[in-house]
Amino acid sequence: MSIQQPPDNGAENSKSPVNIEAVTPSNEAQTKKQPPPEKPSDVRRRSHIILSFWLIVLCLGLPIWWKTTTIYRADLPLQEMLDWSDGKACRPVFPLRISIQANALQEQEAQNLLRLTQHALDDLNDFSGHHLRLQLAPPSATEHHDRDSVLTIRLVPGDTTTAKFDPHEPVLDITYPPNGIPSPTSSSSPLATYVASQLRSTFAEEQATISYLLSTNSIPSDHRPQGLPSDVSDSLSKRTTRSLKYSPTYHLTFSLFTSGSLPSSWDIDGAIGEYMKPVLDVLSPIHNFTIDTQVQLYATPGVQNQVLNKEDLSSFINAAEWPLSPSIGGAPTVNFIVFVGNQTIAAPSQTPGDSDTLGPASHSWLIPQWGTVYLLPLADDTAHLPAEALKQPLLTFTSHLLSLTGTPQSGSLPLRLSTLSRIRSADLLLRASSTLGSLARLALALPSISIPSRVADGVSKTMHHLRLACETLGGPEGLAHARIAEAEAERAFFEKSMVGQLYFPDEHKIAVYLPLLGPVAVPLVMGLLNELKAWRKRRREAAEAGREKKRE
Amino acid sequence: MDAKVTPGRTAGLYAGAAVLRLAIFTLLPALPDLLTGRVEISTPVTSFKRLQEGLFLYNHNVSPYDGGVYHQAPLLLPLFSLLPSFTSLPIFTYLLYIAVDLLSAGALWRIADSGEAGSSALFTSPRREKRWSGFVVAAAFLLNPFTVATCIGRSTSVFTTCAILHAIAKAVSGAPFGAMVALSFASYLSMYPLLLLPPLVLLAYDRQRPERATKSALQFAAVSASTVAGVVGVLFQMSYLLTGSWEFLPSTYGVQLTLSDLTPNVGLWWYFFIEMFDSFRSFFLAVFWLHLSSYVGGLTVRIRRQPLVVLTLLLGIFAIFKPYPSISDMALFLALVPLHRHVFPLMRYTFVSAAVIMYATCLGPAFYHLWIYAGSGNANFFYAVTLVWNLGLSLLVCDLMFAVLRDEWEVERPEMAGKEIRQI
Repeated sequence: MSIQQPPDNGAENSKSPVNIEAVTPSNEAQTKKQPPPEKPSDVRRRSHIILSFWLIVLCLGLPIWWKTTTIYRADLPLQEMLDWSDGKACRPVFPLRISIQANALQEQEAQNLLRLTQHALDDLNDFSGHHLRLQLAPPSATEHHDRDSVLTIRLVPGDTTTAKFDPHEPVLDITYPPNGIPSPTSSSSPLATYVASQLRSTFAEEQATISYLLSTNSIPSDHRPQGLPSDVSDSLSKRTTRSLKYSPTYHLTFSLFTSGSLPSSWDIDGAIGEYMKPVLDVLSPIHNFTIDTQVQLYATPGVQNQVLNKEDLSSFINAAEWPLSPSIGGAPTVNFIVFVGNQTIAAPSQTPGDSDTLGPASHSWLIPQWGTVYLLPLADDTAHLPAEALKQPLLTFTSHLLSLTGTPQSGSLPLRLSTLSRIRSADLLLRASSTLGSLARLALALPSISIPSRVADGVSKTMHHLRLACETLGGPEGLAHARIAEAEAERAFFEKSMVGQLYFPDEHKIAVYLPLLGPVAVPLVMGLLNELKAWRKRRREAAEAGREKKRE
Repeated sequence: MDAKVTPGRTAGLYAGAAVLRLAIFTLLPALPDLLTGRVEISTPVTSFKRLQEGLFLYNHNVSPYDGGVYHQAPLLLPLFSLLPSFTSLPIFTYLLYIAVDLLSAGALWRIADSGEAGSSALFTSPRREKRWSGFVVAAAFLLNPFTVATCIGRSTSVFTTCAILHAIAKAVSGAPFGAMVALSFASYLSMYPLLLLPPLVLLAYDRQRPERATKSALQFAAVSASTVAGVVGVLFQMSYLLTGSWEFLPSTYGVQLTLSDLTPNVGLWWYFFIEMFDSFRSFFLAVFWLHLSSYVGGLTVRIRRQPLVVLTLLLGIFAIFKPYPSISDMALFLALVPLHRHVFPLMRYTFVSAAVIMYATCLGPAFYHLWIYAGSGNANFFYAVTLVWNLGLSLLVCDLMFAVLRDEWEVERPEMAGKEIRQI
């Protein structure tokens, strides 16, 4: 911008024209002629010119500078956000209510049994965030499972003490021998202990999972359970890494890859409807599913070996040629592949930890966070795959889908699903909280980052929903609120306009301002300084002149 | 030079200029379109091509500002849609542009003949006898290649040029109201002439007719400023009625203020704002505009006794530091420079600045070709030439300023006339 200088110089020239002095070459050496004194009108005019420039700088330039370069930082409730991420704002508590139906018992007897069982439970429990509360179901509400309670225990008189899960409803049927009813005075009873231990083992996995989640987040240790055995936490961490990130919708892609030209069609529609739909339906409160299918002939797998070793399984998917899109729309994709070929999987290696990775018949394997491959050997001339032939693959897919979504493995299906929704809400709650904490730490660490009002909106929405989720933790609304909170927190954290400002620290601003404003400022500041100096000199002279006058 | 100007010579000059333009239009039919596409002539806010686009939308009852191509004042549209269609009868458009050029020349002629440049109300130059007549000044304007190229390129800046020259002519001939109305039109068309208001008010104040002169300068300035505000307000209202919305304000003046169209031109802004960090863009836009307007106050105060010089210098400065300058701004500045013929002997760098400007004139199109069409150069080539161009222009502005100040100074110190100067 050096081009700007000439007019500035011109303005400078214009400010000091009277300083132009004529020099005659002849007498330059002997007498240095002093220019005549400036006229007062010229002095005044120069002050006016300097004033006119400075007025523009001060009245327009400074406010504009202030307005255009201040970084907008919306007020964030930083302390509150940090409280959330430190777990101080919400204590995740899952009050699980379990109702007992004991129609064959007297009211008094049932109350007594309940009290004893509750005692036994409280003795066993060491995790305050996850406690089971027993209650007696009113006798009228027989047969039906109570909506508010997580599990219903049906006590039925029988020959021996047995426990059995109802496959369709969260109901635990317990039979007891006639002498199992505790007497009102006894302080312990084998039946109560049995019920308590049954409940404890039923919810052990859920408890372990939730305490694992809490321990991996920065929840203060006072309400974190101690002593999670390392093997449990290992298997839990394995399961968490295997399962997909939570999303309200998953996209399922069913692909039939054949090594030859046959089979060229499959009755996947019917097979899904028959074998998979029931599970998808019960998962629907937690996830939505969209489905598409495809058939690819002459597909070459990534590994050509006849017998696939454990190492081959990871490279079996031919990612370069098989049309498996990573994600359709916004939802993560779960891939289920039926590969028709004559390859087999080598016998599982001896380490017991791998046994759950390989399917029972060693026809399939699960790829963490991605999907499942099922090898289907077929006769060469099969042109069409009927639904029955797909039964085994689809049942495998269904069970793998459950583990991909993070469903716990023990208990009856209804119970597993309700556990899943609780685990998911805890997970989302913790994730949203830690995102809030990161945002707060970012805002504190970078004072020059701009925070648009959209971020503040997102934060306040997140906190609102987090609070609601914390209050209703364990129920379906809790999951919905946690879901919204997590989405809002992510949106606030990944706000686009914040990223652009990230790498613009204060010291770089000198390089922005100086090249242009430096040269402009030099004549302005020098002019002002000279003017002030001259003004002080004039005042002093005037004062001296006044004193001289007085003396006379 | 003060040869008697007969009506015949006047008509001859005007006819010659008109015939020259008409001949170029008709004999070289490809040239107008070529020049219309040149970035040196057509800026986003004056381009004839963009005017055609706006006109098409306007004639099809679509808002002319839809599509973000047209950035010119809305009142140009009815003017051009009154003419027969450009595609079938281009001659009428040519005649309009030629007439506007001739009107500008007429205004310039009146300014030159008034002798304001040599002896204003507060200052009389000892060299005032040495001046060019209106005929020569008008001829220098009409036959200036920059003026001719602007006319052939049909840039709408000719209307602004005409309005500014008429504002000065009216002010010089003692018609302050006419001057203010003309300035309002110029400001309405291109916004930046509004900055000429202070020196123009002073010029009009100095040249009031004695029989109806306003004594108080403040009162005169207030009346003038409110005249401009009123006329501009009326023009805005008419534009609003014409387009049905206030959309034209951001599309015309907003574009100039925010430089949202970064098409290259001969100015200094486009390259700077291509490179600018987004977070500082608005700040530096304000800095550039303040820099442009900061000269108005200082120059007006310093050369208070010769407002016409202030106007000339400001137009030169605008031609350098405007957001969308073109060679038509140069043509306007060069039209006013010959009025100050009497200070030419005091200028020191005429040869250098003339050489630099001619050098840039030749190299600019060549480097632009290398950059855009041949692909063997880059944007820096063209930008370097525009830097040289503006250097030459600023040299000329400074030199003229120096000459005028020296002229004033020699009145105060007659014994120094003709001697070497040295800054102490």
